[in-house]
Amino acid sequence: MQNLKTDVLVIGAGPAGSMTAKWAAKMGAKTLMIEKRQEIGSPVRCGEGMSKAWLADVGIKPSSRWINLEVEGARIYSPSEKVLEINEKHAGNEVGYVVERDSFDKQLAIDAANEGVEVLLKTAAINLLRDDGRFVGVTAKHFGQTFEIRAPVLIGADGFESQVGRWAGLPTNLQLRDMDSCIQYRMTNVDSDVRYCDFYLGKVAPGGYVWIFPKAEGLANVGIGVQVSKLHNPADVKMYLDKWIAEHPGYAKGKKIDMVGGGVSISAPMKQTVANGIMLVGDAARMIDPLTGGGIANGCIAGKIAGEVAAQAVTANDASKEFLQAYEKGWRAKLEDKLYRNWLAKEKLVTLPDVTFDKIIDALQGVKLEKLSVLNILKAVHDKYPEVTKEFEAFL
Amino acid sequence: MPSKKTLHIESSGQICIYCGACVGICPLNCIYLDETRITFDEKICTRCEICVRACPVGAIAIG
Repeated sequence: MQNLKTDVLVIGAGPAGSMTAKWAAKMGAKTLMIEKRQEIGSPVRCGEGMSKAWLADVGIKPSSRWINLEVEGARIYSPSEKVLEINEKHAGNEVGYVVERDSFDKQLAIDAANEGVEVLLKTAAINLLRDDGRFVGVTAKHFGQTFEIRAPVLIGADGFESQVGRWAGLPTNLQLRDMDSCIQYRMTNVDSDVRYCDFYLGKVAPGGYVWIFPKAEGLANVGIGVQVSKLHNPADVKMYLDKWIAEHPGYAKGKKIDMVGGGVSISAPMKQTVANGIMLVGDAARMIDPLTGGGIANGCIAGKIAGEVAAQAVTANDASKEFLQAYEKGWRAKLEDKLYRNWLAKEKLVTLPDVTFDKIIDALQGVKLEKLSVLNILKAVHDKYPEVTKEFEAFL
Repeated sequence: MPSKKTLHIESSGQICIYCGACVGICPLNCIYLDETRITFDEKICTRCEICVRACPVGAIAIG
């Protein structure tokens, strides 16, 4: 393999990477995207629930090639299984489609390729090249051959287990409390409801939740995330999910046909996502919503901005940290307030005993929420259980 | 000097599901995930056991 040169090098071909690559190419930059796996989008490591309000903004056309179904809303179950039903249009961004993630990722890569992006599969970055205080490329491995790829602008889109961010000295490190460890089964012959994504809160999943995302009639992704700081024994995460399933006859009778796992960051927004010659996007930049665990929308929204700034940096012949502030500022303007607010809410929620979750869901019974937001929920709870909201005064 | 404890990552696939949870949380960046293989750098690893807790299926042991 010969050494390569390009304008923009994107490391990782998930949604954030493909989106960044697509927009960089669309803006005229010569763009190469590398992916360490042999197949984009596979293996899937995702619950596959996705909001939809943002898709048009970043130029993604909904397609039956990757949408399994559209849900009407979400149901949130308290520990004593009182249910809060949230209609999709009230839930705003948090529910929408259940998708076929591998098909979705492939479609985004196709969109990028159609804009002129070059794609190299089975190509892993193994370290960063530096020159005069700047990052100027990577050493890569492709079918066992080592070579260099040089580019003035590098994009770290290498996901939750990002190496690029760490190599660049960016503050991606997570504490035990900043991560949920997750496992999920695809189950058939279950009593899921194709109209709803379901969420179960409380000690069934400490510091996280159990989710049921319907894929088709009788078929659903049944998964769990648990905060790592709340785990005590090896394989606790699997134990929690197996226990939940055993206690729910509508799922205990089901059959598992697939299993996936993974880590989800639930941290406060990163302080810095750019360095000289490099930008981080998506899960690699800890852009996952710390309350919902959703990462696709934020990754794509940030990816579009990163792609545009990358192309501008190429044109200006300036990929300094200062120039790339346009990306830092751009993604923060769109995402940071909500990430921070949801992080604060999550920090509080993970401390609540089951009885408080029950009271919160109970207080919301029959309440018509104009818009699902932390503030609106707290106001509704305040009317019925003022003592519960005392601890939340900072939000009100 | 007491010898370091041994970290054992079961990465043959009998337990490991190659999810990358341990890779993302390792504070020293010494665990690596290829498509179907997890490895770690014995020399860098301090046996902090964070990965042991983060593994959803119990594929990592220390002792």
